[in-house]
Amino acid sequence: MKPGKKPKSYFKLRIYLVTGFFLLFFLAIFGRAVHLQIIQGPSLKKMAAKQHRKTLNLQSKRGDIFDRNSKELAVSVEVDSVFAQPNKIESPRTVAKVLSPILGVSFFELEKKLRKDAGFVWLKRQVDLKDEQRQIVKELDGIGIMKESRRYYPNRQLASNIIGFTGLDANGLEGIERYYDSMLKGTSARFTGEKDAMGRTLVYQDPDKTVPLEGMEVELTIDKTIQYVAEKALKKAVDKYGAVGGTAIVMDPATGEILAMANQPSFDPNDVGRFDINHWKNRAVTDVYEPGSTFKMFLIAAALDEGLIKPSNSFFCENGNYRVADRVFHDHEKYGWLDVSHIIKYSSNICSAKIGEKLGKVQLYRYMKAFGFGSRTGIDLPGEATGFVRHYNKWSGVTLHTVSFGQGVSVSGVQLLSAVSSIANGGFLMKPYVVRSVKDQGGHVVSESHPVVTRRVISAETAATLTEMLVGVTEEGGTGVKAAIEDFEVAGKTGTAQKPDFKSGGYARGAYVASFVGFVPAKNPRLAILVTVDEPKGEYYGGLVSGPVFKEIAEESLAYLGVFKANTSAPNMEVEGDAVPETDGGEALSDPAELRPMAVPDFHGKSVRMVLRIAKDRAFDVEVKGSGRAVAQHPFPGASIPSNGPVVVEFR
Amino acid sequence: MIDRRLFTHFDWAILSVIIGLICIGFASIYSATHAQMPAVYMKDIYWIIIGSVMMLAAIVLSYSYLERFAYVIYGSSLLLLISVFFIGSSFSGAKRWISLGFFTLQPSEFAKLALIIMLARFFNEKLISDKGLGLKDLVVPAVIMIVPFLLIAKQPDLGTGIILWMIFWSMAFIVKIRTKVIAGLMAFFAALAPFGWMFLKDYQKARITSFMNPESDPLGSGYHVMQSKIAIGSGGFLGKGFMEGTQGKLMFLPEHHTDFIFASLAEEWGFIGATVVLGLFLALIISGINTASSSKDRFGFLVAFGITSMFFWQIFINLGMVAGILPVVGVPLPFISYGGSFLITSMIAAGILLNINMRRFIF
Repeated sequence: MKPGKKPKSYFKLRIYLVTGFFLLFFLAIFGRAVHLQIIQGPSLKKMAAKQHRKTLNLQSKRGDIFDRNSKELAVSVEVDSVFAQPNKIESPRTVAKVLSPILGVSFFELEKKLRKDAGFVWLKRQVDLKDEQRQIVKELDGIGIMKESRRYYPNRQLASNIIGFTGLDANGLEGIERYYDSMLKGTSARFTGEKDAMGRTLVYQDPDKTVPLEGMEVELTIDKTIQYVAEKALKKAVDKYGAVGGTAIVMDPATGEILAMANQPSFDPNDVGRFDINHWKNRAVTDVYEPGSTFKMFLIAAALDEGLIKPSNSFFCENGNYRVADRVFHDHEKYGWLDVSHIIKYSSNICSAKIGEKLGKVQLYRYMKAFGFGSRTGIDLPGEATGFVRHYNKWSGVTLHTVSFGQGVSVSGVQLLSAVSSIANGGFLMKPYVVRSVKDQGGHVVSESHPVVTRRVISAETAATLTEMLVGVTEEGGTGVKAAIEDFEVAGKTGTAQKPDFKSGGYARGAYVASFVGFVPAKNPRLAILVTVDEPKGEYYGGLVSGPVFKEIAEESLAYLGVFKANTSAPNMEVEGDAVPETDGGEALSDPAELRPMAVPDFHGKSVRMVLRIAKDRAFDVEVKGSGRAVAQHPFPGASIPSNGPVVVEFR
Repeated sequence: MIDRRLFTHFDWAILSVIIGLICIGFASIYSATHAQMPAVYMKDIYWIIIGSVMMLAAIVLSYSYLERFAYVIYGSSLLLLISVFFIGSSFSGAKRWISLGFFTLQPSEFAKLALIIMLARFFNEKLISDKGLGLKDLVVPAVIMIVPFLLIAKQPDLGTGIILWMIFWSMAFIVKIRTKVIAGLMAFFAALAPFGWMFLKDYQKARITSFMNPESDPLGSGYHVMQSKIAIGSGGFLGKGFMEGTQGKLMFLPEHHTDFIFASLAEEWGFIGATVVLGLFLALIISGINTASSSKDRFGFLVAFGITSMFFWQIFINLGMVAGILPVVGVPLPFISYGGSFLITSMIAAGILLNINMRRFIF
């Protein structure tokens, strides 16, 4: 440094000043880094992810849904979806002009989309194009067609409330489509790709190598024809009486298979948006109602099973006025002395209440629970309602009486019909189901449903006695005459229940649920049917409103199934067989597999000779694998004996 | 010419800092460009090699030559700047480059060094009163700066132009300006600012308004700043990892291998990486000031300080912009941003610093 020119101290000061300024700046940048990367880091990270992450749904073909006779209920068809890459389009006007008539989208709307500053935009998804239209679209620069799979329901409204529907991206939203979504969907995968600032998608997984497996096929227990019959009959009644809605369920009482499940109102799953949300639901499963008089059969069943009454026992019906505590019960007609058969035939509330008194609240409650009320049946449909049965500890003075004729409890349709089926089949509460099997695209069975006995509820004798009485209901003078069929005995029960008024409490004036539930042929039941009509106008007695619906469904379905009067060779029902060892008082059995004659016994630990003898007794074939003691078997114990093919038992 | 003492006084620490920065720069450029523009990082290798040769020359040749040839250096730099207007090639609206076959030269970069050398020689020869430089004393050096500034501003290259101003004022300040003059000038420029606004181009105005309020128009002029903040912030504490950055690669972050490279660096290396780079720069600046204050002569002092201030202002403006605390001005980050002439200039400048440093005891 040239010496002596200026005072050194000031020079030093400037150096320090500059250095200090420099340091200050570094401190500022450091602070900024702390702020951005540590304090704001997480939120900025999210913003970054939002910008570039893009999930791409590579949807495999959704599996089809069939009825029990392999008739299509829901199919997937390939349709075109038209997209545009606006930044590749030179003249949005001309392109919009050409596309507008083909896609059925207004010129204005198309032009707006085409002028968007985006790399990719859908113009119209899932549109049906003719070949020549497709040709025109393909020739346009910046316009492309993608194949998408669209769900199509060839039968429109038929069984729509069971099948449900899918969303635009092929997710099951209701019904079977929802409950079996993962299987119908197959292994289709979501790809997480990244998109750049121009909106181009860069997929980092090669989609060709990981082409997802197609969805699996689902076969329902539903019979399309019976479903059609049920829907037609139900709709007729609902329209005739101007009702709010209604349900009709048809079940095979021996197995728990649902053959039909009709709902009113209904919807067309091909055009879901046109219908109100409450048209979508499957009322037979999701909604509960007060069963009313139909409930009396379970009361009688309990009392019979407990040995407290006989069909010939008589009760005094108080001539239509019965005071209990602060309540007076009425019958719709005045009755004096009635025996049990006639109590159910005429549906006397007062005498039912008296039987209830005799049975007692603990036993009534126990039987209700045994019949499955107040708990889900476990049917393979979404949104099943539990129903409501109050615990007997909380019953008031008259609850025993009201519950005896079906007030103060709520049940779902499936629940009630399952319970009725247990009377029809000799005492076994079966788990209801709607899917028979799931198959992959190669036709291999992935899963198969077999009848499952939930428990034995009543004895075979009780069931037979009660059936006899229920036949009386549809005979001359009974409340259910309108449900009677010429060629067959019908066992059933009417129900006319006032709807609760949730606003004011108590019951709503003039709002009834008219129902009829029964099974046919009474002695050898093939069908158990429940019909409910919600708030019919004018006529409201269950026997008058729902009885004819029952009759129509039963008649046509039996004819369709080829069940005729002379035909007594119905294979399903030999429940009262002597192979069933009776235990005391209809107790729920701990091991239903051992006791149910149609079920495969548990062979575990048994010798080959033993297994063969059992099989011979029960008349089914056994395929023996290996030797020694049984270690494994298919089907499993408790499942029903396969109608064709042997039971495979492995020995070691 | 090569004295053994030079070797013993050589500052290996500064050299390591510079090599470290160059390596980080190359890694960042590679990560940012290997997917979309692989030609870029290949070229960067050539620039590093050429730069190293030039730096070696700048270390070895005594800096007294710079004083001797100051006029020649300054003159030829002006000639190059003028020639840009005749034989220059333009790119996205700016004419800044002279094409020399396989590579292009950006004379405005070298003009920064030429200005430092020229000003150093001027201030070294000028007798300055104890009070400091008066207004009249500032006229000649101001002209020395204004001529290349106007040529560069005309290209236009506002960023480099601003750096010339900052170099000039920094050097004048360290030489000493009268306090009154400093106060007067400050008042003068503050009053002038509104008029200067009128001379700015629309895009330049937009940058300043969007700096004031970047969220007002996140897809328009605030885009750079928002994207830069998102990139830096999404790196978090540890970063996304080398080559794992998304914002730059997917082209959300513009200029991610040049002006905004610090954002992609901070995205991939996180707060840790950003702190390391900041630390290296701080080391460079501190040792630059040390070199200046311990230099054996006034010319060395002025050149070393000029170079240090050049580095500082570039770091200051670039990081300030990337971090969203200064408006967007196109100034690259020394040793890290991609740019051939820029890298070579920076390396020569660093070489000169080392040169002055190792000759501090040799008279």
